[in-house]
Amino acid sequence: MKPLNLIALLLFLGGAVWALTRSDRSVREIQNAYYGAMAPFLKSGSKLETRARAFLKETRHSKELEAELEATREQLDRLRLIESRFRALEYENLQLRHALDFKKATRFDVVAARVIRRNPATWWQTVEIDAGSKRGIGTQLAVLSNEGLVGKIDRIDNGGERSSVLLLTDEKCQVSARVEGSPEVGILSGQRGGFDGEPVLRLRFLSPNAAVRTGQRVLTTGRGGIFQANILLGTIDSVEKGALDSEALVRPSVNFADLGAVFVVLSSDS
Amino acid sequence: MIRYSTITILLLLAAFIVQQFLPAFTGLFYSRILLVQLVFLCCAVTVGTPTMLLLAFLGGFFWDAQCALGPHGGDPEIYSQQVENIRFGYSILLFGAMGFLMQGIQPLFKQGKWQFSALLSGIAVLLYLAAEYAIINFVRGDFTLTRATMWQMAYTAILTMLFSPLVFWMLFRIARACDHSINPEAGRRRRRAR
Repeated sequence: MKPLNLIALLLFLGGAVWALTRSDRSVREIQNAYYGAMAPFLKSGSKLETRARAFLKETRHSKELEAELEATREQLDRLRLIESRFRALEYENLQLRHALDFKKATRFDVVAARVIRRNPATWWQTVEIDAGSKRGIGTQLAVLSNEGLVGKIDRIDNGGERSSVLLLTDEKCQVSARVEGSPEVGILSGQRGGFDGEPVLRLRFLSPNAAVRTGQRVLTTGRGGIFQANILLGTIDSVEKGALDSEALVRPSVNFADLGAVFVVLSSDS
Repeated sequence: MIRYSTITILLLLAAFIVQQFLPAFTGLFYSRILLVQLVFLCCAVTVGTPTMLLLAFLGGFFWDAQCALGPHGGDPEIYSQQVENIRFGYSILLFGAMGFLMQGIQPLFKQGKWQFSALLSGIAVLLYLAAEYAIINFVRGDFTLTRATMWQMAYTAILTMLFSPLVFWMLFRIARACDHSINPEAGRRRRRAR
């Protein structure tokens, strides 16, 4: 081997060892610097994408849009009706809580955000949203959609305008879960590797003779300090019983292929 | 030579920006074009070992900066079996290994047979993904390899490989603009034939 190549190889190995021995905090700082440098490109890229979408929308037939508008109006009226009923129930609930002398008032503050893009990683399931620390978002906060739990905040960009969400379909996103209508509790997480069609989640550490059946709903327990209680996760698809514990496959309630608006839960007592 | 090497570094950095906007093919098992890896592989066969190692370090370092996940968080009593993180920096070693693999057939490339390098870039991407997946399984335990994962790796390698002629074409143009020859033997043969 030529001396120059040998020196280069030693320097390369030294650099690799230096990178491999970085602490979590240093890695976060490196990531912040990286995404800080990338931010102008990502911003202009998102703008271009939005313009392209707007252009495509404009080219759609006006009658189609009219019909869509009419349907949306009907939907809005229906939602208004539901909302008024919901408000009444909420008020009634609050009064009952007061009556029961609850120490704290119920709070469930959320921040609405839009999914900008899916992060280009092969094995990790993450998306980027257009809200960050400027709107009060921090790491390890639950992210919901109107269908159920989406995931949790994994990283906040330096500029405070974006954050990265680790999706429920990722193996690393673990959620303490319970099966509705049964005493069974376990840990729900995504599956490793790729998936064919719709993703399926794994609910592990159920009791060996878990009395759960297909179609039962799976909800968060509220334990573990990240996710609030009673958020819908999915429904039981199948159960595999083992000698020491059982495992269930869960079909998520959220359509992860079509994520649009999401809500980051800032605080909650529920 | 220095100008060409500098441009390959800039090209790799540009690939990181473009990669952000390349979507996954949901119909093909969520496979995607790994442009960063492709640009690195194509550049690796056209440069010397020191430059290749510099590119491998930058590529692996920034790839991990882009993809690394944060700590688990939450109550360790509830989440007692937390999923391990892959160490930041592992991609540097994978990029280096891929680079050496590409340089193995550098003599053929220097003769002007870039098609072999294009084919090897696909194989290298497949090996890279397989090694990455093996590391994940090793670190996290409970080895699983589904049919969908194998298809995802295969489609990613094929889709990435299909773009290698374009990257090589760009590299030839850049080399010409820098007055540098990346396949000198082929150039000599052409001159002799004239």
